Amino acid sequence: MKKKIGVYVCECGPNIADKVDIDKIIETVVAANNSENVEIIGDRHKLLCSAAGKVFLEEEIKNKELTHMVVAACSPRDHNSTFINVCKKTELNPYLYKMVNIREHCAWIIPDKDKATNKAIEYIQGGVARVQYQTELIEKKLDTNPDVLVIGGGIAGIEAAISLAGKKRKVTLIERSAVLGGKSVFLKELLPSQAGKEYINKRIKDLTDNENIQVFLNTEIEKIIGFLGNFEIILSDVTNKDKKTEIKTGATIVATGFGLSDVTEFSNINYDTKDEVYTSLEIEKMLSEKGKLKLSSGVPPKKVGLIHCVGRDEKKYCSQICCNYMMKIANYFKKQSAKIEVKEFYKDLCLPHKDDQKLFNLTKKNGVDLVRIKEVSLNGTKIKYSRIDGTIEENEFDMVVVAPPIIPSDSTKNLSEILDIPLDEFGFFQEAHLSTNPVGTSTDGIFIIGNAQGPRGISNSILMAHAASGQIRTQLIPGEQIVPEVKVSEVLEAFCMGCKNCIDVCCYGAIYFDEIKGISVVNEAICRGCGNCVASCPSGSIRLKHFTNEQIYQEVIEALK
Amino acid sequence: MDETKFTPKIVGFLCNWCTYAAADLAGSSKTEISPLFSVIRVMCSSRIDHNLLLTTFFNGADGILIAGCHPGDCHYDKGNYYARRRYALLKNVMDTLKLEPERLELSWVSASEGKRYADVVNEFSKKIEQLGPNPIKKSSVF
Repeated sequence: MKKKIGVYVCECGPNIADKVDIDKIIETVVAANNSENVEIIGDRHKLLCSAAGKVFLEEEIKNKELTHMVVAACSPRDHNSTFINVCKKTELNPYLYKMVNIREHCAWIIPDKDKATNKAIEYIQGGVARVQYQTELIEKKLDTNPDVLVIGGGIAGIEAAISLAGKKRKVTLIERSAVLGGKSVFLKELLPSQAGKEYINKRIKDLTDNENIQVFLNTEIEKIIGFLGNFEIILSDVTNKDKKTEIKTGATIVATGFGLSDVTEFSNINYDTKDEVYTSLEIEKMLSEKGKLKLSSGVPPKKVGLIHCVGRDEKKYCSQICCNYMMKIANYFKKQSAKIEVKEFYKDLCLPHKDDQKLFNLTKKNGVDLVRIKEVSLNGTKIKYSRIDGTIEENEFDMVVVAPPIIPSDSTKNLSEILDIPLDEFGFFQEAHLSTNPVGTSTDGIFIIGNAQGPRGISNSILMAHAASGQIRTQLIPGEQIVPEVKVSEVLEAFCMGCKNCIDVCCYGAIYFDEIKGISVVNEAICRGCGNCVASCPSGSIRLKHFTNEQIYQEVIEALK
Repeated sequence: MDETKFTPKIVGFLCNWCTYAAADLAGSSKTEISPLFSVIRVMCSSRIDHNLLLTTFFNGADGILIAGCHPGDCHYDKGNYYARRRYALLKNVMDTLKLEPERLELSWVSASEGKRYADVVNEFSKKIEQLGPNPIKKSSVF
């Protein structure tokens, strides 16, 4: 059958029209390709991405009965999907269309009009050659399960569960310990003069009262297999390993919280259990349980020293929340009695939230002495420090509070193996992208929130819970199917020799080994289409759809003509 | 062909997420870029195998640039590390093929580095111009 290839050049207003000779481009491309088997239909349009432009293309595809289409315009990063959607309105399979970038990669970067025109011809020729080697791809639809598993019953996990649960979306929340609330249940005030313990208790009640949420205490995840929309999970009871529960979900949220480093592991911090030295969390517990901050003798302290930034240099990251809560603790003392002398030692202040400055001003107004230091060491309750100007001083306190670094929760390493989610250099879960997707992971459908991803305060943890919940709501709409990536890898059975190289290099675990046939098989629902396996295959038996060797060669050959 | 003037042909395999985006940014910033350089978009730098690179050289490319996301920033987790390994391997055997190793280059250019993209491409193009024509063009059975 004769191929009828539509080649449409977008003027993009003056952006392309003024910089290249569009008529010459069309003339050249038509003359170069018209043959017994190929007919090129070339045309130009003012603005193909406009409503009129889209209708124009749709009519062209239908009326001229195009078998392939090339659109020469801006970057495919801008409008590839626009023209794919145009194809979808017609009989033309969208994978028989190719977009060529003659704006960013031609018109805008080559000032000489002749040279720019020739470059555009080269790229379009590449597109015309390539599109003839492209094949139809059919998008498949998969049923999905909208339900969600939340691992961890701290504040982040609780918020995520409540946010997601509904009539059409059930949530299972598992918690390793016997109580809900994580570390925040020990806090008297979540943030100074904001919501306190009552808030956590209310949210725990909201969670347990919600008929769409099922909570399992003393429970861990043992195994998970599947992909976004379809996970099969085995849970096991911590107290009785043989007691197992099987559930199915569409997504999983990891909200396993944090651990606190033992401060005595740092060489500058030395004290004994009999010394009046407390970690910040111990102070919070004391205040929650006894209502007052007292020495072990039962009398209130007169002179208190607070040390920030413990272990920050050793851990090589800032724990982010200590400055905030140490000022909160300093104010607890001042509130208890204005006469208590309070000194805070910090290397740098981390006050990123908009009301932190207010807290800082309040702390100073309350008479807390904030001392910026270079080095500090603690011996019993004696603090030796060098000020920023180099002077060295030593003070004896009757109570000392230290801020330990936030470290990954002790379950993290084991969980990373079960979930197959990598850890970062500090041992926290590795996010998909620190700035653009901090709650995603390398596996679609598995999310990390709160301190599982890195040191986070409560408000940030709640924010992340809602971010993950938002992504799940848009990715897994109850009753709707999902369309997995179609530009995925496939193994040509006859050529595969079973070396398993592809299985080793796949970052998504998308390839498994068929022991009976002795070959690799791609799970199309998991494959993301990077093509790493193709390059790893010594027998050339893996093909990445829409980026096959033959297709790429066409572009190469035209570039080298 | 005019023998006194050599106009090299250079192919760049750019990853969709970082370097292709950087090329777009260089374009929208109207940065001048050598017309000798031809962009081919792939989803990930890890898609580029030796077969593809050698075929491109045998068909007459005077230089090839592979460019992708910075280490640790790969859209596909670790694809760029695999690309680097394959690049290092081919670089080691290019001498045996009587092909100067400088004709193959690997660079990391992120989506925000439009200016750097232009610098990398223009410098590489200049280098290839100085190197002269690819000595093994069309010498293979492919």
